[in-house]
Amino acid sequence: MLRSVTGNLANVLKRSLAPTVRVSAIAQVRRAHGGPVESDEEFDCRYEAFFNRTDIDGWEIRKGMNDLCGMDLVPDPKIIKAALHACRRVNDYALAVRFIEACKDKCGPKVGEIYPYIIQEIKPTLTELGIDTPEELGYDKPELALESVYEM
Amino acid sequence: MAAKRRRDVLPDYMDGYVHVNTMANFLMRRALLDAVRVPAGVRAMSELAKIGNREWVGYGFNGQPNYVDRPDFPLPAVRFHPDTPDIKVLREKEKGDWRKLTIEEKKALYRASFCQTFAEFQAPTGEWKGIMGWSLILASLSVWIYMAMKLFVYNPIPESMSEENQKAQLKRMLDLKVNPVDGLASKWDYENNRWKRWIGAMAAAWARVDKM
Repeated sequence: MLRSVTGNLANVLKRSLAPTVRVSAIAQVRRAHGGPVESDEEFDCRYEAFFNRTDIDGWEIRKGMNDLCGMDLVPDPKIIKAALHACRRVNDYALAVRFIEACKDKCGPKVGEIYPYIIQEIKPTLTELGIDTPEELGYDKPELALESVYEM
Repeated sequence: MAAKRRRDVLPDYMDGYVHVNTMANFLMRRALLDAVRVPAGVRAMSELAKIGNREWVGYGFNGQPNYVDRPDFPLPAVRFHPDTPDIKVLREKEKGDWRKLTIEEKKALYRASFCQTFAEFQAPTGEWKGIMGWSLILASLSVWIYMAMKLFVYNPIPESMSEENQKAQLKRMLDLKVNPVDGLASKWDYENNRWKRWIGAMAAAWARVDKM
């Protein structure tokens, strides 16, 4: 009888931790390697479509940009163009300049090759929207210094 | 449904247990949920109190309304400057054509959203010079301490460390045939009373190196 009681207790614990319904729902999801791999073009189109959404807001733009900056890639110029247009739609000029800066930072040691190409590709969009490159704003070199918090 | 089915299976005398079981199940679930659940927005509210009337515009790097300039998350969650009246005027102007904004207005807009540019927060601080200098000073301090110990604390090294005594010790080790298989005595030619030939060649080579 003691054995049946402990068995009941174990069942109580198990069921309160993970309801049986939910467990069966999770088991449906395929969790394996070797699933469909997204090609580079599909990736670019996905992000371009994301930034091209007409109802996109500043929160989503920032999330998309931060995600892109966390990946091992330099965003394609067409993604950058879509992102700049998105910034225009939410009226955030600083966001656009910051994203160009971030893309320049993503070029890493190849900034000399990739960054001029990006600028050349997005130049029409920049002139159309009236966005200055970080260089035109003087942000390629440190402009202001921060006072040390220990000396305030 | 599971409990109901079990009640059918279980014998009559287990009825009480089934009842206790469902009650315990309910209480256990309540207790676990209470332990896990943090009242919604408690942390966010305390962070919110710190940002004043800055605008919370994004997810940032951890979902909290905070500001850090970092290259891996270039867009922080809040704007750096609070909304002052002149910035509000600028934001109205920002809604129009950006080509009509002056460079100063564009820069003011940038600084309203962000504290430092990439070039600024990635600029070298020169801190390494201080770190290097202090490490070398502390390392040399240990040499000074060693010299002071040598001068004022330690006794002179024992007499047995002198060259004469060391030679005498080596002689005695050879006499005792210390380690004759592949150690010291194996390198001594006892018939001709000298080091074996290859040891001599090596010693000569070392002597030449010493002279250089």
